[in-house]
Amino acid sequence: MSEPNAIEVLDLHKSFGSLRAVDGVSFTIQPGEIFSLLGPNGAGKTTTISMLSCLLRPDKGDARIMGHSISTDPMGVKSVLGIVPQEIALYHDLSARENLSFWGRMYGLRGPALKTRVDEVLEIIGLTDRARDRVSKYSGGMKRRVNIGVALLHKPRIIYMDEPTVGIDPQSRRSILDNVVLLKDQGMTVLYTTHYMEEAQELSDHIAIMDSGKVIAQGTHEELVKIVGQADRITLTVNASSQAVLDAWKSIQGVQRVFPEDGSIIVLAQDGNRVLPRLFEEASAGNIRITSVAVQEPNLEAVFLHLTGKALRDQPA
Amino acid sequence: MKMIFIALKDLTRSFRSVFAVVFMFIIPILVTAMFYVMFGGMKDDDSGFSVPRTEVVIVNLDVGGADFSATMSQFPPEADVQSMGDLIVYVLQDEAFNDLLHITLMDSAGAARLAVDQGEAGVALIIPADLSSTFSELEEQAVLEFYQDPTLTFGPAVVRSILNQFLDGLSGTKIALNLAIAERGSSDPAFIGQIVEAWLENSSLAQDPLALLAVQAPAAEETPEIPLMLRIIGPIMGGMMIFYAYYTGTASAETLLAEEELGTLQRLFSTPTRQSAILGGKLIAVLITVTIQIAVLLLFGALVFNIHWGGVVSILLFSVGTIVSASAFGVFVNSFMKNTKQGGILFGGVLTISGMIGMMPIFTFSSPSDTISKISLIVPQGWAVRGLFQSMQGAATHDLLLTALVLLGWSAAFFVIGLWRFQKRYA
Repeated sequence: MSEPNAIEVLDLHKSFGSLRAVDGVSFTIQPGEIFSLLGPNGAGKTTTISMLSCLLRPDKGDARIMGHSISTDPMGVKSVLGIVPQEIALYHDLSARENLSFWGRMYGLRGPALKTRVDEVLEIIGLTDRARDRVSKYSGGMKRRVNIGVALLHKPRIIYMDEPTVGIDPQSRRSILDNVVLLKDQGMTVLYTTHYMEEAQELSDHIAIMDSGKVIAQGTHEELVKIVGQADRITLTVNASSQAVLDAWKSIQGVQRVFPEDGSIIVLAQDGNRVLPRLFEEASAGNIRITSVAVQEPNLEAVFLHLTGKALRDQPA
Repeated sequence: MKMIFIALKDLTRSFRSVFAVVFMFIIPILVTAMFYVMFGGMKDDDSGFSVPRTEVVIVNLDVGGADFSATMSQFPPEADVQSMGDLIVYVLQDEAFNDLLHITLMDSAGAARLAVDQGEAGVALIIPADLSSTFSELEEQAVLEFYQDPTLTFGPAVVRSILNQFLDGLSGTKIALNLAIAERGSSDPAFIGQIVEAWLENSSLAQDPLALLAVQAPAAEETPEIPLMLRIIGPIMGGMMIFYAYYTGTASAETLLAEEELGTLQRLFSTPTRQSAILGGKLIAVLITVTIQIAVLLLFGALVFNIHWGGVVSILLFSVGTIVSASAFGVFVNSFMKNTKQGGILFGGVLTISGMIGMMPIFTFSSPSDTISKISLIVPQGWAVRGLFQSMQGAATHDLLLTALVLLGWSAAFFVIGLWRFQKRYA
């Protein structure tokens, strides 16, 4: 018999007044994989996570977390989950140890088992030496680590991480990403939300791209990139337009398409680095000067751009 | 069990907050101590908490008069009263005033004033030579000089009050005497003596000189064992205790909103912990915090200020009513707030205004009018003050029980509404 899905989301809907925050979201996550919800701010990722955490009731639809329904068995759902919220949710006037002990108790740990597990988690997040310091004295990165540590206390089978790297230094970010991989290696299922394309690309077994409350695409990284084809995207700006130069570029071996877009010229090529010198040569021959150039390999950013017509970054919150 | 862990966590956080501790304990004690010092409690060596003795210098220049001489037989032989001035000295030297006044007799008005100027005395009373001789003359008036240290308030006020009471009675007698003389057309000293004798018999002076202080100590006969200042300090400290207990109740309940903003409340809701356990744990913390505050302030008042709060049962009834109502009030008020930023309006407005209304009887000291008492009962703090007064005045248990039940009734209403609103909010 095959292992049941870790998370099965079925047609979730949630509106706030006239705003449809989540509009028919469905996806499935296999046990032991890292699944990323990728999308700009306001895409509906946090609302989806909140419903999957039983903090919000869906208007319609359901989800099963390790077989427990979020509608009919919220306590069952909560007992198998560890949640790392987007904001640091800790008591700043308590120490890391006191925080972990308190949250451990909320997950049902008691006595020696609690103490042992708190020690283990302090070790995992690398704060054993600072365990007695109040959280208010920690750096942002250290607080993030405690924030994650709380979610690990009861050794959950599934962990939700809601944009855990927002607003932290590169070193702490690296540490968190490494920890996510470590959790996967320990057999945990991770549902990770982010608006950083690189994080989703690096970590995920499967990715669902969200925009305006809907999942607009999902699959592995490779599957998603295929949506826009395998071509590199070269964006050029030139000092004057010349049809002869454009025709010359189209005839270069390896170039798939050439077309104007927003005052620039887009060249799709199988290997951008290889065709780039030829593009300069043909431009020079036609007395055209290239004033800027950018090469973008096929990635999730391009997928998002392709699907929505807007960039993943710099979306209004 | 999780409820207890949540309560313990909240208590740990509360008592780690310097701000909370200052509001809970330091401010009520400081305000009481301020009143205590204002009323001169620090100057007493024995009990440490009674009104300080005032040094009074009297220069009795009264040479007596024929009219007054006729009354001399009315005074005990040891009084040595030869004039109206002697009578004033005799009254002020009564042992009943020993705790309040220390009398020194001087011969020179200048020396008496100098003693006040140099701080050796608080009051100099200079009795003029013609006080007795003008006693039966309606047209003539003798002037007593009352020379006091302007930095003192309470001691001179006591002396002035005794004198006023004494002289008011004397003035009435003087008017009656002059009317009688005018009607009879004679100023026979024997006749004058009869009238003065009648005045002495009818006045309370002969029986109880302390009655002259009736304005200052109206309840002296009822609670003679409690020094005057304690009857002021006790209600003030009790009032501060009640006022800040409601602050504490509200501030503690505000942690619900603070946790919501901090994100920890949502995190709590994401753990396998029932909402009732989360809200219950927080309520227990509020109750325990207010209980600790009341207990500490009661003990502090009793041990340091010697305040007699009342019998054990009375004080228990008062405490339970106050603790539960202060906690419930906090939950109720917070349930109407969207966030902690509205706390300023809450603390500055609702709590201060309702607290001041409830405290009104405190600042009328031991004789609040019926109207003030009734107005104060429109807020729960007023009922708590009522319970405090009942306990301190040794009221019957059933009276206090009634007050406690009213407070618990307020509490039930506050809890039900507050919890309903919070449950709805977090549903």
